[in-house]
Amino acid sequence: MATLDLTSISKSFGNAAVLHDISLAIRDKEFVVFVGPSGCGKSTLLRIIAGLEAATSGQIVIEGRDVSREHPVERGIAMVFQSYALYPHLTVYENIAFPLRVQKLAEAEVRQKVGRAAEILQLTDKLQLKPGQLSGGQRQRVAIGRSIVRNPKVFLFDEPLSNLDAALRGDMRVELSQLHRSLNATMVYVTHDQIEAMTMADRIVVLNAGRVEQFGTPMELYHHPATKFVASFIGQPNMNLVPATVREATGEGVTVELAGGHVMSVPVEGHAAMKGAKVEVGIRPENVTLAEGAGLDITVNVLERLGGVSITYGTIAGGTRFCATLPGDAAVAEGRNIALAVDPRDCHVFDASGKVLRRRQAPALVA
Amino acid sequence: MMDRYTWPQTIGIYACILVFLTFILLPFFEMFMASLRPLEHLFRAPYQFWSDDFSFGAYSRMWDTVPLLGRYIFNSVFIATAVTAITMVFVVPAAYAYARLDFPFKNASLAIFLGVNMFTGAVLLIPLYRVLRSLGLLNTYWAMIVPGVAFLIPTGIWLLRSYLEKIPRELEEAAYVDGATRMYTLRRVVLPLAVPGLIVVGSSVFIGAYAQQFLFAITFNQTRAYQPLPAGLFEFIGYQSVTWNEMMAAALTGVLPVMLIFLFLQKYLVAGLTAGAIKE
Ligand SMILES: Nc1ncnc2c1ncn2[C@@H]1O[C@H](COP(=O)(O)OP(=O)(O)O)[C@@H](O)[C@H]1O
Ligand SMILES: [Mg+2]
Repeated sequence: MATLDLTSISKSFGNAAVLHDISLAIRDKEFVVFVGPSGCGKSTLLRIIAGLEAATSGQIVIEGRDVSREHPVERGIAMVFQSYALYPHLTVYENIAFPLRVQKLAEAEVRQKVGRAAEILQLTDKLQLKPGQLSGGQRQRVAIGRSIVRNPKVFLFDEPLSNLDAALRGDMRVELSQLHRSLNATMVYVTHDQIEAMTMADRIVVLNAGRVEQFGTPMELYHHPATKFVASFIGQPNMNLVPATVREATGEGVTVELAGGHVMSVPVEGHAAMKGAKVEVGIRPENVTLAEGAGLDITVNVLERLGGVSITYGTIAGGTRFCATLPGDAAVAEGRNIALAVDPRDCHVFDASGKVLRRRQAPALVA
Repeated sequence: MMDRYTWPQTIGIYACILVFLTFILLPFFEMFMASLRPLEHLFRAPYQFWSDDFSFGAYSRMWDTVPLLGRYIFNSVFIATAVTAITMVFVVPAAYAYARLDFPFKNASLAIFLGVNMFTGAVLLIPLYRVLRSLGLLNTYWAMIVPGVAFLIPTGIWLLRSYLEKIPRELEEAAYVDGATRMYTLRRVVLPLAVPGLIVVGSSVFIGAYAQQFLFAITFNQTRAYQPLPAGLFEFIGYQSVTWNEMMAAALTGVLPVMLIFLFLQKYLVAGLTAGAIKE
């Protein structure tokens, strides 16, 4: 039962506060992804879990035991670094065997464990090569091999795929998900790529400027983003955020007038005091269609026809940018004005502080 | 890759190299020529560049003129090697500490090391003499080895530290996460990767040790059997005459093995001195 609990982790480098009061409860065998823009503190948090960095305050508990002061090996973690951190002068075999050599295991046992890891990672015929002779994907697998020989309770990955090209990254995503299933271990994975987060995670932690913005399943984050930040970070292309003014607000719904004059009633929980307030309405590009009659008017600036879909970049009167994912054969052209139909039930409303108003009709929260 | 220099630039560069090399190599060439000449030639005017009575005779006669010559050459190499070995024993852990660890007065002590380099041996000869005398080390090999080591450690630390800093920190962190101690990581990860740097530092320490031993030898050592070559060369200065040709022959013979070693190590030196200059 490798649970991982963080309680009130804070970290400062000198005067610079990097992490603020982070608490997370990660379940056994869970694949949790930390995602956030560059510099938000993902690596620092991972290094604190690993024991490479000491938290300024807070506790790390693995399997119910406080390990805040313990060495990485005693914590039972293994880490895969972004640069792979392979030893260039050692063979693949010795790289994978390194943690076992440190433990001074007998050669037979080392051979058996390295052999098993190499088999899982399809490196058996590469064992005598040096890391310099391998491709990026193979190096990545060696780095993973080195982490699995020790049978750690928790695996930590710091942007392991960011040095690979796009095609290979797709393959490795699948491989890592399979590895997670076959090892049955708890994994914490850091990335700035929301697609990696969405595809691999059981649950995602969205970090922003050293704070947890939201912690939930990919579908929770997609359908119920807690903040504007999460909403615009998750989903591809990014969610449109259209400035709007509240005409009327009740617990049942909020009637807003979007920039450009389009008016709609969004079924989110508002309150009467919001009347007249400036808000932002979040509309995902994939949630709009071409309107039969009147709708949200946009001027198309750039059209990207990808075959299956046409990604349409335009502006609403007043200059707000708006992106729509339309069918591949949609009758649109650059420079033309089009009207888009938006189902208010698909919309999100964010108040001036960036917090979301609770949606009343949306896919139920997945537990 | 594109040719980066136009031909006038290329000619200019080669001309500069030629001038530079001439300055460096001419003394060696002149030494060699002098070693071949009969003694009378050296004092004859006008200067005669080539003559038929050149011979390698000096190279065999020198062993008789100075019977301990072989011993002196050995001493030179022995002292420089011992100085290098002992210096490296101190420099490696110190440089690693300066490259990776945090401790009080780290930068201050590093600056002091650099400062020490500015007082080369000469200024400190008298205090050093007293120290060595109190320790009873005068007239032993130690008299030349101990000060040599002391003066070479600072440069060694500076050179090796900057080399070790270039080894990615993540490699050491990976080893740490896998349970390796600092010493194990140093031995299994850092030092194998630092081999070119170790060779560069070792060579420069060796050169330093070879060059400075003269001063320490003539000041701290009276025992003939322990004299290194530069001090031993004085024996070619006789009561009546100086056998310059034999002295030059002996000097060349003493320097030759060292030069050969450096020729062999050259590729490491170049690789080491330019390491990190280009993105890998
Ligand atoms: N050792 C350090 N000393 C000082 N500041 C640091 C150190 N490590 C990270 N930081 C700072 O902490 C912030 C978060 O860094 P990091 O965790 O690496 O971000 P991420 O991995 O999300 O890109 C950055 O602003 C970075 O400059
Ligand atoms: Mg990072």
